[in-house]
Amino acid sequence: MSESEYILELNGITKIFPGVKALNQVHFQLKRGEVHALMGENGAGKSTFIKVITGVHAAEEGHMYLEGKEVHFRGPKDALDAGIAAVYQHPTTYPTLSVTENIFMGHEIIKGGMIQWNEMNAKAQELLDRLHANFKPSDEIGALSVAQQQMTEIAKALSTNAKIIILDEPTASLTANESEELYRIVDQLRDEGVSIIFISHRFEDMYRLATRVTVFRDSQYIGTYDVDKITNADLVKAMVGREISDMYPKPEVKIGDEIFKIEGMSRTGFFKDVSLNVHAGEIVGMTGLVGAGRTEVMESVCGITKPDSGKVFLGGKQLKVKKPEDAMKEGIILLPENRSTQGLILSWGLGRNVTLPIQKKLAKGGIFNDSKKENELSKKFLEEVDTKAVTIFDPASSLSGGNQQKVVVAKALAQDNMKLVIMDEPTKGVDVGAKAEIYAIMGELAKKGYGIIMISSEMPEILGMCDRVYVMCNGRVTGCLNREEASQERILNLSMEHSSNERQEEAV
Amino acid sequence: MAGKSGRSINAEQKITAKKLLFTWEGALIVLFILVNIFNMNISQSYTFANVLREMPKYLAEMFMVLPMAYILVLGDIDISVGSIVCLTGTLTCYISNAGAPFPIVILGCLAAGLICGVINGSIATSFPELPSMITTLGTQIIFRGIAEISLGGGGSVAYNNTKQIMPLSTKLGKTVPVIILVVLVIAIIFTVVLQLTTFGRSLYAIGSNKTSAFYAGVDVQKCRFIAYVLMGLMASMCGLFLTAYTYGANTTTGQGFEMEVIAMCVFGGIASTGGKGTLIGGIIAGLIITLLRIALGQANVNSQMILVIVGALLIIAVLIPGIKGKIDEMKKLRAAA
Amino acid sequence: MENKSLWKKITGSREALLLAILVVMGIFITILNPTFFSPVNIGQIFRNNALTMIMALGMLCVMLTAGIDISITSTLAFAGMTIGMLTKYNIVNSTLALFLIAMVMGCFCGAMNGLIIAKGKVAPIICTMGFMYIWRGMAYVVGNSQFASGEDVREFAEFGKDGTIGPYIILIVCYALFFWMLKWTKFGRKIYAVGSNAEAARISGINVDNTLISVYTIMGTLAGLAGALSVSIYASAQPNMQYGREMDVIAACVIGGVSMSGGRGSVAGTFLGALIISIIAKALPLVNVPSIAQNTVKGVIILVVVIFNVITQRMVDRQNLERREM
Repeated sequence: MSESEYILELNGITKIFPGVKALNQVHFQLKRGEVHALMGENGAGKSTFIKVITGVHAAEEGHMYLEGKEVHFRGPKDALDAGIAAVYQHPTTYPTLSVTENIFMGHEIIKGGMIQWNEMNAKAQELLDRLHANFKPSDEIGALSVAQQQMTEIAKALSTNAKIIILDEPTASLTANESEELYRIVDQLRDEGVSIIFISHRFEDMYRLATRVTVFRDSQYIGTYDVDKITNADLVKAMVGREISDMYPKPEVKIGDEIFKIEGMSRTGFFKDVSLNVHAGEIVGMTGLVGAGRTEVMESVCGITKPDSGKVFLGGKQLKVKKPEDAMKEGIILLPENRSTQGLILSWGLGRNVTLPIQKKLAKGGIFNDSKKENELSKKFLEEVDTKAVTIFDPASSLSGGNQQKVVVAKALAQDNMKLVIMDEPTKGVDVGAKAEIYAIMGELAKKGYGIIMISSEMPEILGMCDRVYVMCNGRVTGCLNREEASQERILNLSMEHSSNERQEEAV
Repeated sequence: MAGKSGRSINAEQKITAKKLLFTWEGALIVLFILVNIFNMNISQSYTFANVLREMPKYLAEMFMVLPMAYILVLGDIDISVGSIVCLTGTLTCYISNAGAPFPIVILGCLAAGLICGVINGSIATSFPELPSMITTLGTQIIFRGIAEISLGGGGSVAYNNTKQIMPLSTKLGKTVPVIILVVLVIAIIFTVVLQLTTFGRSLYAIGSNKTSAFYAGVDVQKCRFIAYVLMGLMASMCGLFLTAYTYGANTTTGQGFEMEVIAMCVFGGIASTGGKGTLIGGIIAGLIITLLRIALGQANVNSQMILVIVGALLIIAVLIPGIKGKIDEMKKLRAAA
Repeated sequence: MENKSLWKKITGSREALLLAILVVMGIFITILNPTFFSPVNIGQIFRNNALTMIMALGMLCVMLTAGIDISITSTLAFAGMTIGMLTKYNIVNSTLALFLIAMVMGCFCGAMNGLIIAKGKVAPIICTMGFMYIWRGMAYVVGNSQFASGEDVREFAEFGKDGTIGPYIILIVCYALFFWMLKWTKFGRKIYAVGSNAEAARISGINVDNTLISVYTIMGTLAGLAGALSVSIYASAQPNMQYGREMDVIAACVIGGVSMSGGRGSVAGTFLGALIISIIAKALPLVNVPSIAQNTVKGVIILVVVIFNVITQRMVDRQNLERREM
């Protein structure tokens, strides 16, 4: 065992959750002072793996060596004591407490039985200065931005004198500038001798930071590569398991008349002066960075939130949408971004989920639920989208992410007055097979002449599926590109913050 | 676009006796029978006729079990109902003592309950950020406070025209008390609405996942408002019948009812966290507790001992799902390995 | 700008707001009745509300973990009844021993709550509701249709009778202890952590279950202590003592700025919340409101305070949104 080379080494790790093998015999080696990227699709087991390293989950099989010595973490505390700190995807901060309290939670400075607040505040200020943070130790975390919360988490990791810092998708909800700031911090930490594991699905992050990359797929270890020796295509193949050229079955559809239009819609603090339109049979993409306001626009269209101003037209008629039910009655169907908290009732059977929006239509006399009709209808639509389930009474929670998404699609299809479908990140956390099926359904819908809006952060699917792409940045629509015009570079350019001059140049 | 694999999904629900028995309601029915056997053993006078005679005393609370089930299914809670009972009971006496005819007395009482419900519902829906526990704690204190003010220093009021309110506490055909019939009819309506209508389904949707329900077009705040109003209305029914049996009201009328009613619902399998349980369970649980009370009373068991039994039943009942969940999880884990 | 920041400070910090309310109230009352804040009156305010104030500390801890405990007055009655009977029949007569017995019993009752809530994953309100019935029933069982009158507990009541300093000392010690515990000890931090974000607490190595069990155990112990104090102050022990008063304790916390969703609240706020309720109750007759209306006033205050909170929060959110550049 080459003790000097690897600070952390894991061999043959297997983790079983009720019903699934989340990790199957995976390996991992981290060199001293390197930035190591861990990549893989959603559900590949990255996050579980991190939780094994940090002692949150105990692995059923496998060995873990820290500086050449085998270790067994009984809990997160052991990992922290051993110098391993993690910054999770969703900041795990204490929203009601101050920055100082957050940084020192669990390892307060105590002298004579008393917590030394002055000393801790000073130390916290020191850490924040080191990270060039623009907030105070006394600020309450809940009032800070996600980027600032993340910085607090990094400061927390530093305050424990961690030798290994794990960053779990740290750039997922950051703007371009904030990401740059994060890169700077990571570089700084590496120079200070900290070893870093970096999870991300952004290639940008990996090229910018990492020297080596390990890929997981379907809970299994695929391989470890030097970043400068592997091509993008090979890496994608390693992650996805096959060539992705056949992923996007975009049908040739004759684009019809304009069916949907937004004019000058604004909502304070979320988006401003948004206008866009959709034609029959057209798949319109909406992209931009997370937090650009894409989801918020569509939520306002569907009556989830109230816009401050703006008009919405469907088939030439101006709509008055006050609540989600109104939008549904008009035929605007939203497939929300978050399946488990917005799209489905996980504890319910699939059938009941599918028919929830139309239960009134199906009910006898509009009052009494018609179980027989509901069951038949939900069976029909669930089979139509090819859901992998035994009965329509299976709870939604028992399905995989991809199949849950199919239930959400079935729920939309069941609404027979549909005119416009809005899909918010329809393939997020969905495995490759299900992804292709969802694209196929999308194509079918376009053929039938529905208008489709797809909100997505994934460039390939935007480029592969959309007839037209609207790009949003910081609450405004910064551009609209045709299928022919659209390219990764142009979209990225429009999604980044520029001065308005540059933006105009781009738009010309 | 039929499924490429042509996979068929089963839409037939097989209902077996074993499955039914293993529902919470099934278990409660078994317990109901056991409790009756137990009761007959400890009390000589535990006969059908006697139970029928003694039951009305306890039945007024059953009015509140029904809408409380709605509120709990929503994931809310209403602890002001005991105070509404007190307030409406007090008002009933005052209205009658002022010389109003009986229909006006009844309408006044129900209107007062309705208004209380509207107040609770308005606060709950205008400020959905607030936990319902806190807002109804506030109104709990206020409603009883208003009753206290109107009752004045003496702290109690008598229903002077006892003959007037007698019809509510009489027995039809000299055997079946009116209250049993009224409770029965209302219970059937509430049960049918919760278990079989779109409104009931919406309540479960909200309690299971408020956000998903909202996204699916359920009018969350309207449903909550209706539930609170029904709660207030039924609390006034309880107040009315309680007055009919006690011929008066005082500052402690209905005190602690809210917890008893919630306990019955939870014992009946309706989780306080929302989305679970049926009203059938709640009603059976309410009956079990009522019958136990009657039998223990007949057997001269220290009447307060019933508190210990109710509490213990409640805690055992809420522990069982957790234990069952653990066992299921272990089974799954073993299957995966 | 200066004005705005002061306004922000007051609305931003619950303690400052409560203190301001208290000062305004104090001035108002003093104008109406210059002798209201006499040492005797102040002493009585504290003595009459000592039980609520002590139990509010435990409730603060429980609510910081996003829980609630409605079994406390039943625990109080069970412990109080037991020591009442013990001293009535001269089985135990030492004041200290009686206090200790009551506290140990409360500790046990609280631990039961904590175990079932933490390990059984039962909703706190339901679990404590169950024990609310059980311990109240046990109080009756212990009493066996008897109660302890002033004559029965004469010796024990010496400790808490009017004019003695015993209750005040207990009150001060409790508040000092909890102030220190929540602000300056690791354990205090853990309570805040669990309530603010239990998942994060678990990930960062805090034993959430043990913290919950400790918190409910502390609550129970304080309820036991309050039970002994109640017997001593009111010189009687009855099974129905303090029935329904758990809501007063919760109300004091809520007014004091303790959030029901956990992680937010302080000893100072709790104290001020309890104090405001106590003073209002005592001062109502001064403004020609009969004391019979004190409950209504209390309820209105609770609603006004929590709704005020929501509205200021909405305004702050709105302002933050408006400041966002686009």
